[in-house]
Amino acid sequence: MKTVSIAAALAAVVLVCGAPPAYPQAVAFQPEMLGGLEARPIGPATMSGRITAVDAVPGARLTIYAGTAGGGLWQSLDGGLTFKPIFDKHNQSIGAVTVEPGKPSTIWVGTGETWARNSVSVGDGVYRSTDAGESWAKLGLENTERIARILVDPKDGNTALVCATGHLFDDSADRGVYRTTNGGTTWDKVLYVAPDTGCADLAMDPGTPAVVYAAMWEFRRTPSFFTSGGPKSGLYKSSDGGVTWHEVRKGLPEGDLGRIALAVAPSKPGLVYATVEAKKTALYRSDDLGESWTELNDSSLVNTRPFYFSRMVVDPSNPGRIYKMGTIAAVSNDGGRTFSALGSLSLMGSSYHSDVHDIWVNPKDAEQLVIGTDGGVYVSLDRGAGWRFVGSLPVGQFYHVSVDMDWPFNVYGGLQDNSSWFGPSRRSGGIPGRLWQSMSGGDGFWAFPDPTDPDIIYDEIQGGNLFRVRRSTLESKDIAPSPRKGEPKYRFNWNTPIHMSPTRPGTIYYGAQFLFRSRDQGESWERISPDLTTNDPAEQRQSESGGLTPDNSTAENHCTIYAIGESPKNGDVVWVGTDDGNLQVTRDGGKTWTNVAANLPGVPKGTWVSSVEPSHFDEATAYVTLDGHMTGDMKTYVFRTADFGKTWQALATPDVTGYAHVVKEDLVNRDLLLAGTELGLFVSLDGGKAWAHFTSGLPSVAVRDIAIHPRDRDVVLATHGRALYVIDDITPLRKLTPEVLEADAAFLDGRPQWMVNGSGDFGFNGDGEFVGRSPGEAAVITYYLKKRHLFGDLKVEVYDASGKRLASINGGKRKGINRVEWSMRSDPPRFAPGSGIIPNLYALMGPRVLEGTYTVKLIKGKDAYTSTIQLVPDPRSKATAADRRAQREVVDQLFALVERSTDLIDGITAVRDQAAGRAAKLAPSDPLRGKLEALSAAMEKRRTALVATSRGEGISGDQRLREELGTLYGNVNGFDGRPTRSQTDRMAVLAAELDAASSSFKASQAKDLAPLNVELEKRKMEGIVVTIK
Amino acid sequence: MFRKILAGFALAALVAVPASSQTLDELLARNYKAKGGLDKIKAVQTVRMTGVMTVGPGLEAPFVLEQKRPNKMRMEFTLQGMTGVQAFDGKTGWQLMPFSGRKDPEPLAEDALKQVEEQADFDGPLVDYKAKGNTVELAGKESVDGADAYKIKVTLKSGDVRYIYLDADQYLEVRTEGKTKIRGTDVEGESTIGDYKEVSGLMFPCAIESGQKGSPQKMKMTIQKIEVNVPIADAQFTMPVVK
Repeated sequence: MKTVSIAAALAAVVLVCGAPPAYPQAVAFQPEMLGGLEARPIGPATMSGRITAVDAVPGARLTIYAGTAGGGLWQSLDGGLTFKPIFDKHNQSIGAVTVEPGKPSTIWVGTGETWARNSVSVGDGVYRSTDAGESWAKLGLENTERIARILVDPKDGNTALVCATGHLFDDSADRGVYRTTNGGTTWDKVLYVAPDTGCADLAMDPGTPAVVYAAMWEFRRTPSFFTSGGPKSGLYKSSDGGVTWHEVRKGLPEGDLGRIALAVAPSKPGLVYATVEAKKTALYRSDDLGESWTELNDSSLVNTRPFYFSRMVVDPSNPGRIYKMGTIAAVSNDGGRTFSALGSLSLMGSSYHSDVHDIWVNPKDAEQLVIGTDGGVYVSLDRGAGWRFVGSLPVGQFYHVSVDMDWPFNVYGGLQDNSSWFGPSRRSGGIPGRLWQSMSGGDGFWAFPDPTDPDIIYDEIQGGNLFRVRRSTLESKDIAPSPRKGEPKYRFNWNTPIHMSPTRPGTIYYGAQFLFRSRDQGESWERISPDLTTNDPAEQRQSESGGLTPDNSTAENHCTIYAIGESPKNGDVVWVGTDDGNLQVTRDGGKTWTNVAANLPGVPKGTWVSSVEPSHFDEATAYVTLDGHMTGDMKTYVFRTADFGKTWQALATPDVTGYAHVVKEDLVNRDLLLAGTELGLFVSLDGGKAWAHFTSGLPSVAVRDIAIHPRDRDVVLATHGRALYVIDDITPLRKLTPEVLEADAAFLDGRPQWMVNGSGDFGFNGDGEFVGRSPGEAAVITYYLKKRHLFGDLKVEVYDASGKRLASINGGKRKGINRVEWSMRSDPPRFAPGSGIIPNLYALMGPRVLEGTYTVKLIKGKDAYTSTIQLVPDPRSKATAADRRAQREVVDQLFALVERSTDLIDGITAVRDQAAGRAAKLAPSDPLRGKLEALSAAMEKRRTALVATSRGEGISGDQRLREELGTLYGNVNGFDGRPTRSQTDRMAVLAAELDAASSSFKASQAKDLAPLNVELEKRKMEGIVVTIK
Repeated sequence: MFRKILAGFALAALVAVPASSQTLDELLARNYKAKGGLDKIKAVQTVRMTGVMTVGPGLEAPFVLEQKRPNKMRMEFTLQGMTGVQAFDGKTGWQLMPFSGRKDPEPLAEDALKQVEEQADFDGPLVDYKAKGNTVELAGKESVDGADAYKIKVTLKSGDVRYIYLDADQYLEVRTEGKTKIRGTDVEGESTIGDYKEVSGLMFPCAIESGQKGSPQKMKMTIQKIEVNVPIADAQFTMPVVK
């Protein structure tokens, strides 16, 4: 009884004080523990990704802000040559970016893209930076989900209007126009129409900033349908800076309106343009501050897809020049009477990526334009005649990712509006964009190499267009299944699943409403299921989708298969998830199917199944993610079954946020789980009981797919906004058990380390290209620290089998996982000073150690921890172990020759200096002085015969024994294989030269030095000592 | 007994509160104390540090760094038997870089001079910051390498900004970050600092890793020996006259 009360009291105290419990507790798995395990961005940026909003600050050094659909906000301080992300700690979907007028260091950001396509992300409010993006303050409006525009009062930076488009998928009152007069501390909702009608655009008259126009838009997207327009859409005007509003209609079309884009002419107050979506979408103009409107133009350049392109900008210095965004950007030079495409068009379209969302026109130089497209940012210096692509924005929106078994392995995947690609996962010095190859075009999704035929890749275009691509020629063959006699039309998702059988390499699955299987590279297909969807006709109205403007792009195709997974333990067990909430499993290779969706606890019926992951350990076990965000359900759904779907365990804890796209079970440690959601990557070490958000090197970007490389143990992430990332070697995560977390320090042994010699690239491409990060060629040693190390040594030492210490490395000191690199070399040889560095990188380095197992020690203050590291040859090497031993022998001999030559040169130099020193102490008339000077000069002659001494600021070409030996040492040291006959012959020649120089020096000691020392002794002067070892 | 436990908890809670709302002056005082005390810091006239720097995998160079109050410094490093020097004598910054054949010293260009001058500030930018013309403010608490640290913003007299992070428990520097204007463009650097060791009653960091912010390429400096108050002649810092 007594114990109970004390415990209860203690618990109460703990609650009050927030102090940790007094009893020992297991060390919790925390995100910061993953810090040393960094995700490296590999891009590519060669296709970039969707830009949603741009703003800029004119000046000698043009500053550009580029807001992206899912990859955050980027800043360029050099006119769009280089960009850096400045919003990585916050929501990555940008709807609006506004530089405060007259205050270039104040940036307002509205999160949540307003271009309401099917794959759009969600935002979480308004932010402001007053130090040009260095730090950000969140200003609220968290539940607005998407923001189209922010206007700041040019006379008062604390007064601003926010155009909140609001929720896309459900009703919400958090939308409309918001106004602050205190820099975002508080907001008034000044214009609100209805829970399904939000703000699509805002504009402020340049002459009378109190006059503001707002476009209100009724719209809704569901998993199977999109509606733009309705009776609640309309154009509104305020004459008091946005406090009160009235609708204006005079001259605008009758009937329902849709999305409206607004543009004022900065150089002509009172003039305002609007493109108005209606039965007949057209451009309108008002010359009376928006009170009445006249139709100008209904060209297809003006009226394309208003939900995706409703941005219009008037050239600040020319009221008659209007830029209208669209599939192709358009320009009018006659006040909107006629439009032409911006830039030159070929059959393939414009030279810039299609689907242009925003433009910035330099108010001080109308020739200068910046546009944001589905494929990145482009800059024009001649009013759009020619465009420069910005190659430094890795903001691609990958949907899926796969890997092959090459070394280094290649990565495959498809992107929003940017085709499917493959490229290398690593490369000495980085991965440039030119190493990436695109395939079939369109929007790309799944892409897989054929494991049985390295020349074959499968990829696809939206809506079920499947191709077989030959890697060697890039020819592409349509291999999609099509309806046979008596079959209904096949329904393919926008993002149709391709699945490769893990048990029968070469077998492919493809899903419509039926599941198909091919065993002949897609030449023929076997249908192995009935319709696995709900086949609900109400969810199949995509041909009517779009609202006022029909839009049937296959993006609303529904009642389709979305996820396929065959069990690696039993090829007859196949899981299928559908976009309309069915979760089907067969245990007999497709003969019979069971829908187990109803067994998922707490999941609303019809919720989209976003991924299935059959276990690698047990055929009855599978994982599934579901995603209800397109019905407004933002919960994270991750489940596991161990009984073929009869019962399910929910795995997502409150630490996992964002709607779920994918979950992967590790291939070795079944307790290690990786989950990708709209807000990032999450890791569990205990089968889903506890999760940590992985933030090391990775912003809170949507992780759509994850691949674990079965051989190299790398994790590859397909992000929807920051292209691809690799987390190198997750073996340490497999070993991060609860026991390890308790230890003060522990090694987390990684994979065997490849001994790759780096190779340089003869390329000088300037600074404008993003280069994918490569892990480098050093061996990586990984360990865990419970706390940050601060006092005393923290070193990693490496020893060979004989116990000789090869390296002592400054170790990382962070809490959690640390990684250090070891060059796999011992110390370099000692050189004598010469006229310059021997121009051979490997002459600066020590000899390469041989492959094998080495002991590693972690020295932490007084404690030492021991483990081993295994070095293996470059997997591509053609050299044998004997070849590498032969190399090492020659390197060792050359090493010894270099050091012997150094000793000789140092000895000669010492004699020279001693002789000169003694001489200086003698009277000029003393004959000994002359003899000593002669000796010194003779020594200098010897030295200059062995060391290059020409001033090298020009290119002297001077090469003596030091340089010749050093170069040969470097050449042999830089190649992990048998030295050539020329090299070994040359070594013998140089060794003989060194011997000759040595003997000659020795001989001179007896002949010249000994008599001089006798004379020095007579004068009570110290004799000249030869210090040679 | 029970009351005692309660009282202990309450006390711990009280003590914990001020620690999280430190003023800048308190924090600096704790930093100086953690290093050995301001008196001891100011009693140091010269420091010589000997160690090895790793500029890339397998590329190591032994170095000697000498500093003399108030603002003299000399850095020597050796590659392939040749020794490069960079130094500042309080007025003139110079270097001798023999690696491509040059044998004579030369004055440092403006940008490099600015950096050497900053390095030469013997006690660093925090000690006597007002007299040095630096502005210092406390910029909150952040996680550095998985553990809490106080963030101090230093605006140097030159206008360049430095962030110094002090470990929240030990008050010693664990990270510095800064932007340096080079030809009008900000170059962002960061250093991670650790392996503190006591020498002559003062704490010195013996492991420093630095490089461009966000870049995986970092230069590592390991300090193996520290000598305090050894005589170092002023001539050591002065640019030699070429005859």
